[in-house]
Amino acid sequence: MLSIFKTIPTHMDYKGQKLAEQIFQGIILVSAVIGFLYGFIIEQFGWTVYIVLAGFAVSCLLTLPPWPMYRKTPLSWQPALPESSGDSREKPPQENLKKKKHK
Amino acid sequence: MNTVLSRANSLFAFSLSVMAALTFGCFITTAFKDRSIPVDIHVSKVMLKNVDDFTGPRERSDLGFLTFDLSADLRPIFDWNVKQLFLYLSAEYATRNNALNQVVLWDKIVLRGENTKLNLRETKSKYFFFDDGNGLRSNKNITLTLSWNVVPNAGILPLVMGSGHISLPFPDAYESTKSY
Repeated sequence: MLSIFKTIPTHMDYKGQKLAEQIFQGIILVSAVIGFLYGFIIEQFGWTVYIVLAGFAVSCLLTLPPWPMYRKTPLSWQPALPESSGDSREKPPQENLKKKKHK
Repeated sequence: MNTVLSRANSLFAFSLSVMAALTFGCFITTAFKDRSIPVDIHVSKVMLKNVDDFTGPRERSDLGFLTFDLSADLRPIFDWNVKQLFLYLSAEYATRNNALNQVVLWDKIVLRGENTKLNLRETKSKYFFFDDGNGLRSNKNITLTLSWNVVPNAGILPLVMGSGHISLPFPDAYESTKSY
């Protein structure tokens, strides 16, 4: 059953991941500041919590789905080398080098 | 950050950290506030009886009856870090056996958003004012104080004593009527 979910592509490229992180941190921090000031002024801490939760919901909408703006700079992979049984011994180190950054 | 789940994880963790920081901010903005307010206590009637105390020693103990007026404006205590107040009126006195006796006579919970004006007239005590012996009779210094616990959203649970207490003498003789 999990395999169905795994077929849905959800990845972002590296620049997109950085952008998504900056976006949700910004939204939550801004909503936290607004909520703190508003709650302090009207003397209701509950409203602070609600405003932070609203910021959480908005940033969920903006950063959880892989929107196109997070996929603008896809990695350009090398074309697959033709498979040959002779040099399969030499290939693994090269592959490891490439996949090192993969989170 | 590559999959939905890892993004949801870091988003949730970051939100929780921010919420914890905000809660600490809520605590620190109110931590050093003075939550003491003036309280006006007035006792209009004092009655003293000598009755069987079935819970204590097997002899007759002193039982006091007080009728009191109490007025205070609790509005200054409330802020965004107060959920409720637990108010209690206590009597403190010294007897031959004990240097300090404390008896809670009356209490009240004031929730946030309820009426903060406390104005009681001719109120009888909610709990029995029993001494564990005969220490109430002709005791010249029985002090009534209103204190309160502040129940916060976050942080410490302060116990505050109201400024304004009253000391009263108790009568020298027992009432003999059996109606109580």
